[in-house]
Amino acid sequence: MSHAAPKRAAIAPDRVDLSVRVGSLTLRNPILTASGTFGYGDEYAHVIDLATIGGVVTKTVTVKPRAGNAPQRVAETASGMLNSIGLENVGLERFRDEKLPRLRELEATVIASIGGETPEELETLLRALGREPGVGAFEVNFSCPNVAAGGARYWADTDRLERTLAQLKPLTDKPLIAKLSPDVTDIRDTARACERGGADALTAVNTFVAMSIDLDGMKSRLGKATGGLSGPAIKPMALARCWEAAGAVKIPVLGSGGIASGRDALEFIAAGATAVQVGTATFVEPGASTRVLAEMRTWLAANGIARVTDLIGAFRAEPAQEATTAAARNGGQR
Amino acid sequence: MTTRERVPGRATARARIATAAPAARRTWRQVRARVVSQRDSGAGFRWLELELPAGFVAPVAGQFVQLLLEFPSPVLLPRPMSVASARRVRGKLRVGFLYAAVGAGTRALSELPPGASVSVTGPLGRGYPLSEPGTPVLIAGGRGVAPLLMAADELARSRRRCEFVFGARTSGLLIGVTEARTRLTRGGSRLHLATDDGSRGFKGDVVGLLAKLAPKLERPLVIHACGPHGMLAAVARWAMANGARAHLAMESVMACGTGVCRGCPLPRSGEARQRVLAEGAAAAALKGNPEWAMCCTDGPVFESRELDWERVE
Repeated sequence: MSHAAPKRAAIAPDRVDLSVRVGSLTLRNPILTASGTFGYGDEYAHVIDLATIGGVVTKTVTVKPRAGNAPQRVAETASGMLNSIGLENVGLERFRDEKLPRLRELEATVIASIGGETPEELETLLRALGREPGVGAFEVNFSCPNVAAGGARYWADTDRLERTLAQLKPLTDKPLIAKLSPDVTDIRDTARACERGGADALTAVNTFVAMSIDLDGMKSRLGKATGGLSGPAIKPMALARCWEAAGAVKIPVLGSGGIASGRDALEFIAAGATAVQVGTATFVEPGASTRVLAEMRTWLAANGIARVTDLIGAFRAEPAQEATTAAARNGGQR
Repeated sequence: MTTRERVPGRATARARIATAAPAARRTWRQVRARVVSQRDSGAGFRWLELELPAGFVAPVAGQFVQLLLEFPSPVLLPRPMSVASARRVRGKLRVGFLYAAVGAGTRALSELPPGASVSVTGPLGRGYPLSEPGTPVLIAGGRGVAPLLMAADELARSRRRCEFVFGARTSGLLIGVTEARTRLTRGGSRLHLATDDGSRGFKGDVVGLLAKLAPKLERPLVIHACGPHGMLAAVARWAMANGARAHLAMESVMACGTGVCRGCPLPRSGEARQRVLAEGAAAAALKGNPEWAMCCTDGPVFESRELDWERVE
């Protein structure tokens, strides 16, 4: 390819600077765990040294505890996993009083995921947690596909996103990261709305709304008709959404969706992500995030890239490719 | 952790026992295992034996592992497999499983030759509380026989005999019944057979046979059971109606198997819901969810009063 960078001489893996900045937060490396796939951190602390990865995004916490959806909550599909958990979580009080102190002991960089059915619930959460020690940033879950109220559809409204983030911003001095749904007409619109509202970063993307039918019983393989799809099946789609979002805003984007290897992670970074989240891969291999990190470091070293930040957005579509993408988009709108 | 400190008065003994099952939390790990052997066990079932590294904590009866095929695998997620035997051979751990090759993952597993490697995460979940006092009655339906024979062996090691009730639809589905009789007789235990069609042993289901045996046994009875959920619900109801305790090994679709994904809920009983709420108020419990127990970490073995059998699928 004509735009390919000239091959650089390999360097020692320990010379690669993996640190990245997300707003005012510095991450020691770009590998985070995705919300909902790593509990509250301590569940995996005996198999992963949490101080070695970039950070832990905790299970979305809501004001009140939530019991979650009726079974079935998970179903496997081709190279993917459907889930309909329904934001089961311990609620604000126990998160603050039991889970956060434990995470502080583990010396993890904590990104607390918060979720609400209304802007007011999110305000309540940030008023309670916004100045808690041990929280490095907040990820606002604007994109759960599995709840009746306050899910991805509700938060697909760009005015609501912008207004809500503007309301939340004064409640904390920590970075606010907006986690976006891929199931919108154009993710650049929701991405820009979050940036206008004052978000310090975005996460692109949450799971894709998806379904699977058991033909024998003519019923959903989940307790609800639809769920959220994750895993390798969504990686190419998530990558495209991440690339589009990153191209539309100036704030950092955290890539997420089917990342299971160092090369997967680097594709997202080349597409414009500043850091990435490892999710479903952890269910397959509890130590996946540390392996992804090691593979990323090895690749960067072998390619002579001394700072991971040098690779952010390194992929540039050639004009002809750009035109095709735009045509496809316009075609979709006709 | 026991609930002894938190539950006053007469409820103490029961509450202590309810949490007495071995908890696997935080001792599990993921290792590479080697296939030692695989063979047909009849009726479409396969017996698989794996060799695990010495550092792997030995599973107890009722616990499970997450078994993952190596790349390229036809499936993404690991599969929960109930442990059917565990013994040390020259310092390493040999773990056995009885399974049916019914899906893409288990079919691929059934084709693995000796020497092939697989990934194993475990041991996971809470096994049978075999030290619980009372006359042990082990009740197996179909392939549920495997973990219960392991339980019978564990009881025999602590010099306890058991009544072993083994049921199936028909005699051909009484998997490994000859071996079961040998192993049980050696430990001084008794095997009782039931088939729905009467082709062998008692004609009827295991609960019918249990009801017939129970008057001859010394009370209290403590039942440990494994089999289809319908059978387990019937055993649970019999136990609650007859003043016996019953520990039932449940199954569920799972993703992580470690309590993280919250993907394997089972409906809690009203009694369990009230207790969880009371514990939650004391901010001492970690289980939390009053509506749903997780099969993987709260179970897979549950006492009959823990679950709402009307809503178990």
